[in-house]
Amino acid sequence: MSVQLVFLLAFGLAAVWFGIVVFRTHSMVRSALALLFSQTAIGAMFLVMQTEFLGVLQIMMMATEMSIMAIFMVMFMMDPGGLGEMDMKHQRKLSLGAGILAFAGATALALLADWGPIATEIPDAGEQVRLLGFELLGRSMLIFESAGLTILTAMIAATAMAVQAANRPEPAAPDRGPDRGKQHGH
Amino acid sequence: MSTVILLLSLALGTYVVAVLEQWASTNRLRLAGPVISALRLLGQENILPRKSDRLFFEVGPVLLLIAALLSLAIIPLAPGLIATDLATGALFFNAALAYVLVAMIMAGWGPDGAYGMIGGWRFLGQLIAYAMLVVMPITTVAMRAESLSTIDIVASQEMLWNIAYQPLGFALFVFAGMAMAFVPPFDLPVATGELAGGVEAEYTGARRIVFRLGRMVLILSVSSAIVVFYLGGWLGPWLPAWAWSMIKILSVAALMLLGGRMLPRIREATLLAWCWKLGIPLALANIFLVGILVLVVPL
Amino acid sequence: MAIELIVTLIMAAGLFGTGVYGALSQTNLVMIMMGIELILAAGLLNLVAFWRYLHPEAIEAQMFVLIVMTVMAVEMAVGFGVAIARFRSRGSVEMEEARELKG
Repeated sequence: MSVQLVFLLAFGLAAVWFGIVVFRTHSMVRSALALLFSQTAIGAMFLVMQTEFLGVLQIMMMATEMSIMAIFMVMFMMDPGGLGEMDMKHQRKLSLGAGILAFAGATALALLADWGPIATEIPDAGEQVRLLGFELLGRSMLIFESAGLTILTAMIAATAMAVQAANRPEPAAPDRGPDRGKQHGH
Repeated sequence: MSTVILLLSLALGTYVVAVLEQWASTNRLRLAGPVISALRLLGQENILPRKSDRLFFEVGPVLLLIAALLSLAIIPLAPGLIATDLATGALFFNAALAYVLVAMIMAGWGPDGAYGMIGGWRFLGQLIAYAMLVVMPITTVAMRAESLSTIDIVASQEMLWNIAYQPLGFALFVFAGMAMAFVPPFDLPVATGELAGGVEAEYTGARRIVFRLGRMVLILSVSSAIVVFYLGGWLGPWLPAWAWSMIKILSVAALMLLGGRMLPRIREATLLAWCWKLGIPLALANIFLVGILVLVVPL
Repeated sequence: MAIELIVTLIMAAGLFGTGVYGALSQTNLVMIMMGIELILAAGLLNLVAFWRYLHPEAIEAQMFVLIVMTVMAVEMAVGFGVAIARFRSRGSVEMEEARELKG
């Protein structure tokens, strides 16, 4: 039992446990923050796997993302505090079955596949950041740029969808003026 | 040995920041002030609000303290005098301080009180305003140092401190850092005058001490980051390295606390508008300028 | 022995299963998005594990992780845009009430 394995197990179980808590609690803020801690545990697993940059990035991004999720939950739910013990589930059997099937399938695959030799030598953290930088601005630049463009598009699209329709004045009542014909011209 | 020095300087720094904070808010310099306040708070009853979310209520202040302490882990006081020299130090600073937001939301939501909750969500609005202005100036600092490690960042300022090399970035970072540590004029989440203490409103006794302590460490952490990223960290003539770090950090904290009092408070919506319409274009221009500077005058 | 890799993959499988369950069983749009976030997080975990234990020389794997993180952010942004638009027009984001999408 290596130290790495112990930490992987601990953070992994924490991530799964918080993931389950997300759908078990009635309080919406708790639910969003449970998801945050699940993601943070995943970030910690990245750190255990010596992927420092991605781990820190995951931990940083998710804090903001899930807090925003929390405020949306409070805005859109009828019972954000969970004091009313509202039921918000449907198709229970189907989804439970699908969840268990997905878990069992992925686990079976992980256990049965022949993973071949395991790498032991990996670049250290500073070297990884350097390599990733060269990768981002070298061969993968186009992909990286299109990711940026996708975010920009999504920002504009989401804002366009979400803003309130402009407060246009009511269409004027047909007046009896001399320019009446012009108004109905189009 | 270096752990002991780091812990001692952390305790000293926090205490001095607490004295300064009291000086700024009451206009009286009392060296024993924080001790007296702490004793007074310890004597207070520990009130637990009705129908509170107990877990969040208890965890919020502690998480604030932990996040602030973690962000201090990458601050070098002198060559070799650093808790952990991470290869991604500058990013880690942001990651740790992102949890200040989580702590504020927890502490605001937990006690089931309107003032606290409004304060907590206000901080979310504030974060959406300042977050980009923290990250983008740090990008330019890392561009000059060609590294995210804080030791390398300080070493890169050997010839010329970043405050002279990229003054625009410095101004933006100080602005955003003050919003991040919610010192006045950005203290709307805990606005004493208007929300009866905001997030702090429902906390009494020992829990309030932890909250206050977390906030002092947060102010210390932000001023250390300003020093490390822009004011040359431990660099300076005559005095030993650690002394320069301490002097710079504490004077930045003092300037932030005393200067912030002079400015009017900014409403969340106005802050958001300024940050996104003015701040982010400026930060982009800063990245562009520093990019050219790094290529043309690599000092 | 690939025990670390297998443990990580099983944890990812657990997250994936939870995410699938959540995305299918919840009636609220925001909760469904949480399920999808969990599914994507499981994918991230798998990618990092494969990079670390099988091909640490291929730094492109980390690039792929960044792209998946982008997808998570984009999903959130667009999802909340849809949620706001729907809440404005219908007053709720309950999916049981979104029958008109059935055609």
